[in-house]
Order: sequence, then C-alpha cells, then structure tokens
Amino acid sequence: MLTYQYNQDIIRIRETVNKDDVEFHIQVLKEKPFVDHLKQVQNFFEDNEVYTDVLFYAYADHEYRVIVRHDYYTDFILALMKHRLLQSVKWEKEGLTDSEQ
Amino acid sequence: MEQQAIWAIGIFLVIYALIIAEKIHRTIVAMIGGGLMVVLGIVDQETAVHHIDFNTLGLLIGMMILVNITAETGVFKYIAVVAAKKARGEPVRILIALALITAVGSAFLDNVTTVLLMVPVTFSITRQLRVNPIPFLITQILASNVGGTATLIGDPPNIMIGSAVKELTFMAFIENLGPIAVIIMAVHIPLFILLFRNQIQTTDELKRSMMKMDETQLITDRKLLKKSLTVLGLTILGFFLHQLLHLESATVALAGAFLLLLFTGEHVMEEAFARVEWMTIFFFVGLFVLVSGLIETGVISQLAKTAIELTGGDLTATSMLILWLSAIASAFLDNIPFVATMIPMIQEMGNMGVSNLEPLWWSLALGACLGGNGSLIGASANVIVAGMSGKEGYPISFVQFFKYGFPLMLLSIILSSVYVYIRYLM
Repeated sequence: MLTYQYNQDIIRIRETVNKDDVEFHIQVLKEKPFVDHLKQVQNFFEDNEVYTDVLFYAYADHEYRVIVRHDYYTDFILALMKHRLLQSVKWEKEGLTDSEQ
Repeated sequence: MEQQAIWAIGIFLVIYALIIAEKIHRTIVAMIGGGLMVVLGIVDQETAVHHIDFNTLGLLIGMMILVNITAETGVFKYIAVVAAKKARGEPVRILIALALITAVGSAFLDNVTTVLLMVPVTFSITRQLRVNPIPFLITQILASNVGGTATLIGDPPNIMIGSAVKELTFMAFIENLGPIAVIIMAVHIPLFILLFRNQIQTTDELKRSMMKMDETQLITDRKLLKKSLTVLGLTILGFFLHQLLHLESATVALAGAFLLLLFTGEHVMEEAFARVEWMTIFFFVGLFVLVSGLIETGVISQLAKTAIELTGGDLTATSMLILWLSAIASAFLDNIPFVATMIPMIQEMGNMGVSNLEPLWWSLALGACLGGNGSLIGASANVIVAGMSGKEGYPISFVQFFKYGFPLMLLSIILSSVYVYIRYLM
C-alpha cells in the first residue's frame, strides 16, 4: 500500500475509505504557495478526460473535500507529491497502517 | 425515372443505412456519400458547393468557439452550484434546477454544447450528494431537446430550417416555438419529480456539506469571465436584432467569436479552434451534398408531390403528417439528415401551390426537435450524454431511456399538435 508523510504546519489531511472511493478532507494552513499548488492538482484532474476520477469541493478557510475513485488513488497521491504538498511517498507492505509504521 | 435519379436514391439509401448502423463514423459515411454524388456526376462540383449551407456551419462554429472560451472561466459550474445551494442541497430540487438550466442553456447556446457543459457538473454534484446521476442525466437530455426547440440556435434542425428559410428569423422562432417549449417544460417538471424522486435520496449531512461550499472559488479567470459574458451577451442581442441589422445568424455568431478572440489573444485561439467539433461540421457538409443529389435529380419534388397527393393538399393534414412523421422518424433516426431531406421537400410544396408554409415549418421543427426525446439515439445530445455517462461507469441503456423518453415524447407531440392546430390551422 502507498503511504505518505506531510508537514503538519502546512497542510492537514484526513482520509475516509468508502465503497467506491476515498474521501480526503484537506486543510491548507499556509496559504502561499500551497493553495495554488493544490489548485494545480485540481486543474490537472479537471483537464483530463475522466470526469469522476478526482472531484474537488472547496470550502471557506482553504478547506477542501476531495472524492477520489479507488482506481485513481495512486495518481492523486503522486500529484500531491509532485506539487510539494507531501514530503514523502512510500510503498509499504500490504496490511500495515500508517500508525504501525 | 431517370438513371441519375435512381443512382441518387441508391446512394442516399445506402448512406442512410450506414449512418443508422453506426458501424462506421457518420461523418466518414456522409462525406463519402456526398463525394459519390459528385464523382458519379449526379451533381457537378459547383452545384454541390452551392448546396452547402454555410450559414448553418458558420453558426455552429461561432457558437462552439464562444461557448468553449466562456466555459474556461468556470461560470457554468458556478451557476450549477449556486442553483444547487438555492435548492438547499435537496436532490429533487437540484434535479429540476439543473433541468431548467439545461433547457435555458440549450435555447441560447445550442443543446449539444449545453449538455457537454452540464454533464461534468452533474457528476460533481451527484457524487457529492452520493446519489445516482442517471435520473439527472436523463432529465437533462429531455430538457435539452425541449429547450433547444425554442430558438433558431437551440437545436441543429432549427439552425438548418432557420438558415434555409430567410423569413423565419430568430424572433420568429422564439415567438412561435417559445410558448410551446415553455408549456412542454411546465408539463414535464411534475412528471420528472414523480418519476425520479424515490431514486435520489441523500442524507442531511451531505446536504449541509453542499450548503457550505464556496462557489466563488469555481470562477478561475475573472477578467476572461467579464470579456466572455459581455461578448456572449452582445451575440445573443445580435441574434434578436439580426433581421433589423440585415445580418445572417452565422455572421452574428462568427463576429461574436472573433471579437472575443480579439480580446483574449492568440494563446486562446488555438485551444478554441481545437475544441470546435469539426466532425459534426463535416457531417453537415457531407449531408448537404448528399441531399443535393436528390434535389437536382427531381427526387425531392416527386416526394413532395406524393405527400400532397396523400393529404389532398389539405394544410391541416399535411402539417400533422409532417409533425408526427418527423417525431417518429427523429426518435429512431438521426434528425439532422432527416431535416436535411425534409427542407427541400417543404420548399417544393410551396412551388406546387401550398401558399401557407408556416405551419409546415413549425411542424417540422417541433417534430424533429422533440422527436429526439423518443429514444437514446434520437438526437446528438442524447448520444453524447449516454457516451459520457457510460465512460464514467454509469451506462444508460436504450430500454432504460426509452421507457421515460418515448412516452414523454408522445406527450410533447400531442401538446404540439394541439398548439399547431389552435395557433395556425383553426
């Protein structure tokens, strides 16, 4: 499974796994330049030809709800990494949760 | 019948069958059909070019450029989310709001472009509320064909009719088809609620989440938004005034498109041209040349003569025949080639002494546009939505659409029959 780390002074991420998708609640704590970085991730998924891969919903105070289809989970995490919203991404053995590592 | 006419009918029927079969892309088939008419000498090249309706093509290209640039600003997503919030996150109310936006958008932008804009927004809203998107998409297909009926630019059949008959201006379409389109929408809305309310339930928590959304973040480029909306508004005003200005609707649309490109600069131009649906444009080119073969060899005038004989030249009977024939044919065949064939036939009826063609034109427009709701393959908008939905894992089957679309189409044609009779024939 894919695990990731992020700077908690910049961003907070909460994940909920549903039947068809994974729901992320993301709050960007440091506006510049990270809100723009997240928007670049959003633009990337909105400009491709799949409409339901990763859906962004924006709220006040730089809070976002992001619904990610299971088959696009890795793409989404790697896009966050590419835009420096994550510090590291690593493949871990199946069955290990974030807290166990 | 002359040998040339037999060849023209043969080519036309084979091409029509290939378009229906959908084994080869309809644009390739239509262009080959048009090409055969020229290569076999049924029409000469100059006559073929003369039959291509550049007003229809210009109008489509101009509107595609305008709407695609405007869509880049995020304004259509913004409108949909504002509507969803006004509906307080309630799925049934959102379903109606999106259907109404689709109907109005289809009337003033054209229905194919409107559904292309609405489908992604619909997926976003329904996923957020965790409801099935299919009832939303079906109602939007139906609304797009009803809304598109109301104006000259709303639906390809109307664009073709408006372009072929100079007296039928943008205002004439609104005055004659607007009222019946509004009546049909008003009758459809309670039926949409009745048919779909049980299929789209959500939780209070998800409704609250929708209400908290910050829709202002959906606008991505405010400068471009101001420019786009100004030019789009001027273009729509231009449609209303095109007769007074002595301009064709295509001139208005293309002027709007290039004015916006002048304001936005070259970097937008390449993207805007890339998004024009050239396959649709060339489909029209092929069809115009294909039908020219039937016109030039006298086949169309023979068909018109037969239709007049069938109805005894009675205006009421002819109008009803055109309305119902167009509706049933458009439900199962592509309405664009059908209308391309019917236009010269009605013009020929005028040459044969039918003095008042107006009810016939409105019957053709109503039948061809509303008939598109009869099945999933009835109109371009239907095919596009079904394709997009299927690709995202929500296939809409022919039967699933038919059980809603066909009865509602019949209802709309009954309402149209009463309207045409009372307004033009009594």
